[in-house]
Amino acid sequence: MNRYLFIAKRLALAIPLLFGIVLLVFLILKVTPGDPARLIVGLRASEAELQLVRDQLGLDDPAIVQYFRYIGDVLTGNLGYSFKSNEAVTSIIAERLPVTIWLLGFGALLSLAISVPLAITSARRPDRAFDHATRGFGLVALAMPSFWVGIILILTIALPTGWFPVGGFGETPTEHLRSIVLPALTLALSIAPLQVRSLRASIIAVLGAEYVTTARSLGVGHGRIMSKFVLRNAAPPTVSILALNIGYLLFGAVVIETTFALPGIGQGIVLAARQRDIPSIQGYTLLFAIVVVLVFLIADIITSIADPRLEVES
Amino acid sequence: MSVESTAAIAAAATPSHAIAGVERVRMPRRVWVGALIVAAYVLVAVFAPLIAPYDPLEQDIVNALASPSWAHWLGTDELGRDVLSRLIFASRVDLLVGFLGAALPAILGTVLGAVAGFRGGWVDGVIMRISDVVQAFPTYILIIALVFVLGPGVTSILVAFTLIAWVAYARLIRTEVLRVRSLDYVAAARASGLRPGRILWRHVFPNSVGQTLVYLPSDIVGATLGLAALSFLGLGIQAPTPEWGAMIAAGQPYIREQWWLSTVPGLVVVGFGLGLSLIGEGIEEWTRK
Repeated sequence: MNRYLFIAKRLALAIPLLFGIVLLVFLILKVTPGDPARLIVGLRASEAELQLVRDQLGLDDPAIVQYFRYIGDVLTGNLGYSFKSNEAVTSIIAERLPVTIWLLGFGALLSLAISVPLAITSARRPDRAFDHATRGFGLVALAMPSFWVGIILILTIALPTGWFPVGGFGETPTEHLRSIVLPALTLALSIAPLQVRSLRASIIAVLGAEYVTTARSLGVGHGRIMSKFVLRNAAPPTVSILALNIGYLLFGAVVIETTFALPGIGQGIVLAARQRDIPSIQGYTLLFAIVVVLVFLIADIITSIADPRLEVES
Repeated sequence: MSVESTAAIAAAATPSHAIAGVERVRMPRRVWVGALIVAAYVLVAVFAPLIAPYDPLEQDIVNALASPSWAHWLGTDELGRDVLSRLIFASRVDLLVGFLGAALPAILGTVLGAVAGFRGGWVDGVIMRISDVVQAFPTYILIIALVFVLGPGVTSILVAFTLIAWVAYARLIRTEVLRVRSLDYVAAARASGLRPGRILWRHVFPNSVGQTLVYLPSDIVGATLGLAALSFLGLGIQAPTPEWGAMIAAGQPYIREQWWLSTVPGLVVVGFGLGLSLIGEGIEEWTRK
């Protein structure tokens, strides 16, 4: 029962937050200098044309009226129309979203494939050569801009082998898959150092726990201890690191999609900003914030279900 | 605040250490290695006009995309400008935004967090609700939106960093202030009739700020990488001002032939980041001892 109360409370807290988010996104239009109508119809439009656009969008209404109309629009799934293509922002996003989901999903998996073995090997013999090398490399990796890593991968893998395209997303599923490998690897390399660090620390902590000593004294083998006790207990902190860094991952997607010319929402927001396409920027910004709120919400709920200790404490 | 007082705070925070007797913990050597690297970058930035062999903006189209030679150690870019000179001058804007982009949010966040934690009540409520909303956005997505609103340029990038990145510091300091506020010596200060403002700045604040300073080096790395990323995306420092991230972007189309145009500026960024990370990691380890 307690758990449902916790989830209900957590959901209730998210609602005022969403209103704050919508307010901030609404302000992007209000605060940006210049006449939005001018951005739509162009520099040569007559005053009459401008006024027509202003009337259509209700730009002359008081700000508070516009804010409530914006909330209404958002709630009914209308994010406005692109200043550039006149397409609905929701359909632009829907078109671009799958690419980003592929990138994030594939990137997260690859990052685990890199960081879990490294963390286990480091934690088995802390402060030995391998551990030091991993930590040293992590320090360097954290200082590397992800777009630069992407370019290095293009230079050292894509160009010499020809296995992967230098950019773009291709047309067929096979091409999609080939196009996503290097961007996903770039994303994985940018998040892996953070994961190795936290996973290594939690493995060392669990290895020192009394139940592991007990298991060992009962003759349980090393591999079994790792899989049965250590990884199971060290995994939740790693997952929450991934969740906590969702903002970092999303910005990583923005930069990496631009590097590899992947038509995802990350590249979308950059193009929108370059073209001064305000409704699209608003749409993307709102989407990114909602993703973050949802991920935090889900992470909290999963933790409360997965870790019964929290319930005991509350 | 100097580094020594951070140590004093850390020492005071670990009673076991105090009982064992005050033993001077030596700063790890990597802190000095990192400091040397960072100092070298700072010197290059300060004396850029003296060190750079050419004017970073001077074009020589006939001599564009030249390979490294004795005349141009790192070759020339697509407009025939000397790459080495551009890298040297770029350190000015990258270091400036790196340092200020970390320091300004730290100052704003520390002040707001300290006030929120110390005053409590509606002040605390307002500051924390604002920070909730800001934190719901991925930091750099919001910075993209804000730089879009403010227009490109160093000033608006710094304003955007400050208005958004203060949140993490405010939360950190607020928690610390809440902890310190309930300690005996603050109660004693209050009982002896000191004004709240004085208690906050003279007693609570110095004992809460240590944690913030530990994070500063990695946040300078963050701000530098953030600026480089914004400029790489074409949303940060605008041409023709030299900037590391923008130089990496400008070199990308020529990666097949002139691979050094993108790779070398990246190495320069990594070197600066590594220097700061060494300092940060070293200090963190040092305060834990």
